Amino acid sequence: MYEVLMYDGGVYRVNELYELVEDVGGFVIQKTQIQVQILVTMAIPEEERPAIEAKTRELGGKIVNVPLAGTEIAVVAPTLGRHHMPHPTCDIAEQLRRLGAITVVMGLARGKGRRTSQISADEKAIIEEYDAAVFVLGNFKDCILEHKVRLFEDIETPVVAVCGPQIGSLPHCEAIVCGVGRKVERMRREEEIARLEDVSVAIEKVIKDKRRVLEEDPLFVHPAEVKDRIAELEPVQRSLRPAPIVLHLDGLRVKIPYREWKDQIAAVEVYGHRLGDIAQISDSRLGGSTLIKIKTRSEVEDHDRRKRSG
Amino acid sequence: MTQTDERFAYENFEWIFRQILQDLGITRSVLAFRIMADPAAPYFLISIRLGRARSAVKVSDMAQLNPHTGGTAITITDEGWAPALLNKLWQRYGRDRVEQLTRFEMLVRGVGMDELSSLELDPGEELKSKILDAVWRVFPEGFTVRYNIVDDRAMTIIGTEHDMDPRWIEIAKAVHKEMSVKEAE
Repeated sequence: MYEVLMYDGGVYRVNELYELVEDVGGFVIQKTQIQVQILVTMAIPEEERPAIEAKTRELGGKIVNVPLAGTEIAVVAPTLGRHHMPHPTCDIAEQLRRLGAITVVMGLARGKGRRTSQISADEKAIIEEYDAAVFVLGNFKDCILEHKVRLFEDIETPVVAVCGPQIGSLPHCEAIVCGVGRKVERMRREEEIARLEDVSVAIEKVIKDKRRVLEEDPLFVHPAEVKDRIAELEPVQRSLRPAPIVLHLDGLRVKIPYREWKDQIAAVEVYGHRLGDIAQISDSRLGGSTLIKIKTRSEVEDHDRRKRSG
Repeated sequence: MTQTDERFAYENFEWIFRQILQDLGITRSVLAFRIMADPAAPYFLISIRLGRARSAVKVSDMAQLNPHTGGTAITITDEGWAPALLNKLWQRYGRDRVEQLTRFEMLVRGVGMDELSSLELDPGEELKSKILDAVWRVFPEGFTVRYNIVDDRAMTIIGTEHDMDPRWIEIAKAVHKEMSVKEAE
């Protein structure tokens, strides 16, 4: 089982850390260099953590726990109007980013209003591409219980609802965080920071549960291993997008157009298999991206068996 | 009436409206306000007791005017009026002809002293637009069917999603009447 950690330190001798990560069978997921400081997100086998910690101490850096690293989370508001943006939607997204997640803020096209509030099939499909979604709702209990709850009723991705009034439980969502409501300034008071932490705890639990389900029938390869191979593709290297490859719990999003590059992506070799054989490669609803869902070990074995016999 | 406990919403709306008024710098121009809502109806109502805006003032009362080659030089004596004056001059004569030399000095090209000294600034309009801005920031986005009651003392706006029920308009009128006679909170 891989564990995702973040190294926070200087660039001096950081290559030694990369070599150690490689030696223990881990992967560097992301590097963010700011002058002589560097943040390195990496996935390493759980049992190798002491070795990485020792090297980090030697280099004068520190290890930061990033429980949401390797996930992509959508923060959804009913609209992108000033009633929901930038606070608290962006504050929640920032809180999740600090814990290592890649976040996307999304506003629904027709989410405003009470009875008129709607979500389209397209929007649902986009949300389902993410590992989890946070729905940021408003102030009126009646409005949330009677109408807004329908926004996420058929979404298969786990949902955490955030709202203002105290509500015991809400259907169709994995967790609910109350006491946020509408804001016109940054959430920086003590009780507001506590609410942001409640949101991250709820999301962490959702992600942990999803990881546990995945462990029951593990993926054929860890998405970080596929990332390493895909990063060698020329269009990915040429991509100017800030994170051209984003890890999901069960795959990756590669920000190059599906139609043009699907064959090259499918031909990438991973442990003697074509990527096209060990993963489902599809077009993303977000323009210019390709989604890769890695098959489980049993699916790949089954595929190999059929191939041999037939 | 709604069966759910909406205390959080009422407290939150009151809090954010006060913050918005503070952000826009019009706290003192709103003497009192009331926010009412019935999500089961649904309607949202906001009624504001307007404070008195500063009365209209002539440019000659807040600035000194001196003839200048090709125009008039203005030296502001009351700095509080500077942004409003600059705005008015830009609207009237265009940015090319109005130049702000220093914090207190402006130069208007091609305009005589007489014309400028009789120019009046009315802060009442600016105040109303700021109050409306505050209302739109707090008003639920989906409630686009609206009914307004405005006079010199108060402004009441009620909004809903579909058809406006005449009974809600009666509620708005009653709240407006109450707000018009209300003293500062």
